[in-house]
Amino acid sequence: MTEGAVTTGGLSLAVGMELPPYAIAAVDPQSMKLWAGFLRDPNPIHLDPRAVQAMGLGDRVINQGPANLAYVITMLQRALPGSNLDALEVRYIGSVFGGDAVEAGGRIGDVTEMEAGARVTCEVWLRANARDIVITGTAVLSLPSSGET
Amino acid sequence: MHSPELPPAPSAAGISLSGSGPYVITADENRALCATLGSSVATDGTAHPVFFFIATQVGMGKSVAGLCAACEFDVEDGPMIASSKVVFSRALMTEQPYWVTGEIKSLTRKRSRTLGAMDLLEYALRLALPDGALVLETTNVWVLPRRNLA
Repeated sequence: MTEGAVTTGGLSLAVGMELPPYAIAAVDPQSMKLWAGFLRDPNPIHLDPRAVQAMGLGDRVINQGPANLAYVITMLQRALPGSNLDALEVRYIGSVFGGDAVEAGGRIGDVTEMEAGARVTCEVWLRANARDIVITGTAVLSLPSSGET
Repeated sequence: MHSPELPPAPSAAGISLSGSGPYVITADENRALCATLGSSVATDGTAHPVFFFIATQVGMGKSVAGLCAACEFDVEDGPMIASSKVVFSRALMTEQPYWVTGEIKSLTRKRSRTLGAMDLLEYALRLALPDGALVLETTNVWVLPRRNLA
């Protein structure tokens, strides 16, 4: 078992390595309507700008927190193909509004070679409009040596 | 200046959030969700991992409004998610029935510089196969603003 840098499943992974970011040019209010259905949660702040205004939270609909989290998970899936997400812990510290640009990113904090692949711990985040961090956290993934799931 | 003491938070710890029926991630819903993310759909039947949140929220025994009501909080007052933690024991699959069990862990009242007063709601949910095998455990924390107490 080695630590610090590992090659597995065709990927070279090292502590401190930045994961390729995943960007959405503009969060679509129409997708918030779909997420309201997925979550069975008709909270109007995700659907109606007037509800957001009435609560003094702005003048655009607010994206669902789990949708923001899904951008982070999708970034991990694209950066580490074939990986399995073992654990994830995040804090939601800001809002994403309709039309915002978002970018999910990550950095490897620890990588350990295992008998059948590697275990990778990553710091993860979601940034809105290249400025505000709206999600921050830690993910643990396992990567099989063959790249198979 | 000394702030007056806040009244105690309602007693909610221990309230069951276990579901009364199975939850299934349909292949259609997984496909629709992946489309909103620009994410490709897995060909091996695995669902997008964010379904950990959706499956537990939808499959638990209360709606979001019902969960808030258990804390004597009106969902119209705007609950805000603060944190999530999940540990997977196995991957989520489409078209697989799952059962949800869980409970409210705590409801803690605090003063807040931005909200005046708030309750922190922590609840734990577990997703299992019909034979009881654990699939994942998750804990969420929500902020329930108590502007009327500020």
